[in-house]
Amino acid sequence: MITTVLGYVFIGIGILFWFWGTSALTTNRSVLFKLHSLSVGDTLGSIAIVFGLLLKIPREWSLLVLAIISLAIWNTMLGYVLAYCSTSRGKND
Amino acid sequence: MNLIAMNFIMIAMILTLLIPIVEACKDNNIWQKMLALSSISTKTSIMILVVSVLRDDWMIGVVAVIILSVGNAGFMLIAHVMKRMRNI
Amino acid sequence: MIGYLNLMLRLAIWFLLTADFSLANITIGIFISLILPQSYSSYKNPGAIKDWLRALGEAIVAIPQAYIEALQIIIRPHNGEDVIMEQVRPNRTPGLIFLDIFVITFTPKTVVLKYHQEGQYEVHHVRRRRKS
Repeated sequence: MITTVLGYVFIGIGILFWFWGTSALTTNRSVLFKLHSLSVGDTLGSIAIVFGLLLKIPREWSLLVLAIISLAIWNTMLGYVLAYCSTSRGKND
Repeated sequence: MNLIAMNFIMIAMILTLLIPIVEACKDNNIWQKMLALSSISTKTSIMILVVSVLRDDWMIGVVAVIILSVGNAGFMLIAHVMKRMRNI
Repeated sequence: MIGYLNLMLRLAIWFLLTADFSLANITIGIFISLILPQSYSSYKNPGAIKDWLRALGEAIVAIPQAYIEALQIIIRPHNGEDVIMEQVRPNRTPGLIFLDIFVITFTPKTVVLKYHQEGQYEVHHVRRRRKS
């Protein structure tokens, strides 16, 4: 019972992170600044959501842990690649 | 109670997903567009995972985990190609 | 010798995919992760195991730290941005450099822009700045 409620709490936190991170997309900032808020929103928010699902349904822990690991690695690498490619020609915006 | 809560979560996720979709259509700069698209791809695969929990069907969940673990390789490739195109 | 990161990553993915700890499955997993092809450079210079353990420890510590930084950014908006250069520790193999870049980029306040061959990272920060 308590883990179910805790799972919902984590999912709620994750959705809040999503909302905050993506609302930064609508502003008029540089690509790099948006990248920082997307790494909050997408990576950390999604990890919180999957962790909440993990607390709700511990039966499928192996798949969910794999989801968390691949989410962390791929999103971080995509952030690095986007930052590298979008700046290497000098100025951007 | 469970079903209602999960439906509510799905509605909130769809509303959040609308933001990057609108941004991807609106932005002119290609890198801003890439950011919005990468955000869409992460969000949809997490939503697939939530749907699989909602319907209690782990075949869908396996698909979501495969999508997550193959990752955004295509996006990285496109980013590198666009950088090369600029340098030529 | 085989790159430690490679081996650990392969074994972790294998066990998470199969979720089966019978002796046969463990044997198959180790066999497959040893037999899969790998890059040549990890044969020559696998890196010290002490460095690996410390880098993995840093990666685990980075997770709660990332959440703390995320909360800091959300509660108090960070509006300033700047780029600084950071020195790479000596004797890093490519795998360790990958882990370093991963840890730096994973925390929301910092993103690695570029890795210079001479041994420096170009790191982009967001900072808190008073409106003036």
